[in-house]
Amino acid sequence: MNTREALAATLAAGALLAAMPWLASDFALALALSCLMYAGLAVSWAMFCGPTHYLSLATSAFFGIGAYVTAWGFGTLPYLGAVLVGGIAAAAFAALVGAAVLHLRGAYFAVITFGLGELVRHAITHFEKTYAHTVGRVISDPPEAATIYLTVLAVTLAAVATAIAVRASRLGFALVGIGADEVRAQTLGVDTRAMKVAAFTLSAFFAGALGAAMAVRWTYIEPLSVFNPFIGFQTVLIAMVGGAQTLVGPILSSVVFSLLTEFLRLRFPYAFLILLGTLLIILVLYLPGGIASLVSRLRRAHA
Amino acid sequence: MGFWLELAASGLITGGIYAVVAIGLNLQYGLMRIMNISHGEFLMLGAYLTWLAYTVLGINPLASLLPVAVALFLLGLIVYALCFRRIARTAPSVEVIEARSLLVGFGLMFLVQNAAYLAWGADLRGYSFLAEPVEIAGARFMSNRLVVFAFAVGLSLVMLAVLRWTLIGKAVRAMMQSPAGAQLVGIDTTVLHPVVFGAGLALAGVAGGLLSMVYEISPSMGEPYTVTALIVITLGGLGSALGSLLGGFILGLVEAFGMHFTSPSLKMLLSYAVLIGVLLARPRGLFSR
Repeated sequence: MNTREALAATLAAGALLAAMPWLASDFALALALSCLMYAGLAVSWAMFCGPTHYLSLATSAFFGIGAYVTAWGFGTLPYLGAVLVGGIAAAAFAALVGAAVLHLRGAYFAVITFGLGELVRHAITHFEKTYAHTVGRVISDPPEAATIYLTVLAVTLAAVATAIAVRASRLGFALVGIGADEVRAQTLGVDTRAMKVAAFTLSAFFAGALGAAMAVRWTYIEPLSVFNPFIGFQTVLIAMVGGAQTLVGPILSSVVFSLLTEFLRLRFPYAFLILLGTLLIILVLYLPGGIASLVSRLRRAHA
Repeated sequence: MGFWLELAASGLITGGIYAVVAIGLNLQYGLMRIMNISHGEFLMLGAYLTWLAYTVLGINPLASLLPVAVALFLLGLIVYALCFRRIARTAPSVEVIEARSLLVGFGLMFLVQNAAYLAWGADLRGYSFLAEPVEIAGARFMSNRLVVFAFAVGLSLVMLAVLRWTLIGKAVRAMMQSPAGAQLVGIDTTVLHPVVFGAGLALAGVAGGLLSMVYEISPSMGEPYTVTALIVITLGGLGSALGSLLGGFILGLVEAFGMHFTSPSLKMLLSYAVLIGVLLARPRGLFSR
């Protein structure tokens, strides 16, 4: 599929999904919303981490920053404005941090980015306690479910479209080159540092915007719930289980994962995370290429 | 004077625990590139085992340290055989091993932590052991803390000695320097890897047992220790047990003094500030040449 076809397919899927609020039940809509959120997070994560093989756990930091923009600004800012500012705030944070830590690789980078979420969470908790004398914020008068759904859909579609565009651009080629051999990419004249910071910033924008858009779903926002490391882990898991190098993989697996999590949560409310953990281990051990590799294997078997 | 001594001592005591946790994790990472993010969960298991042995069977926590270490060592062999052996065999490159073992670590974290919630609930548990004050040089210490400190430092030093002077320690260091070279001179990876992984978990378990004598325990207690251990490893350098010991003390002291001068809620911020500073200035660790 070339770039134009992929963009057209994205647009068509978006048009179909946009009809959901008028067709589906409330429960199905909520489920679709969580699928969309994770699809957007996983696609934006894979945008940077897929080709470069970096392992970023910073998603929950970006998501939380976006959510806190809504928490502080909702009411003064319109909903869409908060989403936009949330994305920009997360992107600015990513650019700042990325410039400092993107020369690290492997486990070091994973640890630092995991820490970022905790760092921002502790900083905000401290700030709120000391200066605002509060623990959390109440969102009064949230937008309707359909508005939230359509906004999240728009952000996710934008993330997918951006991912498609990046793959076909000089930035995309540079990222693949960095992932294969960073020194060689430098020798060939790629400004690897600028490219990495740019892609990291871009991927953070979508995570922040999604955080800002989803924040109104919780009526009460506190650091512990929006900087939940689980959101970051889940994103990485979805993208890697789907196949981080592919575009379709993360989208497919976000649907599978959201439905599966919901099913397990309803059927086994206590053992659900135990099952999820076991499943994850089995998937990593026996399907390391992700769901996308299963699809291509099937296709090869047919041919 | 006494006050500063107490502050420094409290930093060194937490630092000693950090060192024990970090040495285990550092061995696993340095030797096998296993980024075991679930390390702290095994610390939590060690703490619960010690607590159970004390409250149910009435066994002295110090006496149960050795059985806890053995139990965690065996558990480590099982976990390695079930999860990490396959990754090491099938992964095409070191980076892939790191990424996959990190994911498996997350899986283990969910698994163990939530199993503990199911088994023991979310309440804080604790018992009081040797909780009488001792006075040394004008400073007052709880005697259980001194015991914990002595055991933590002793254990770390024993680990250093094992690595330096025993045959297995030499084999471990050889594997870290050059995996291919070590295999050429007849070091058996299939034995060494599970043993070192098990030893890492045993150290975590003992650290948990020590912690349970001083602090209250809960199923989510492990995660902060994992993160702290990763910071300590970064401070001390990958693969360096001595670096982990010194890094643990440094971080413990920074936290103790930092919290005194600022506020206790800034503890994590301080740790991260140290981490980011070190990574920017000396990415290979404070003691690298």
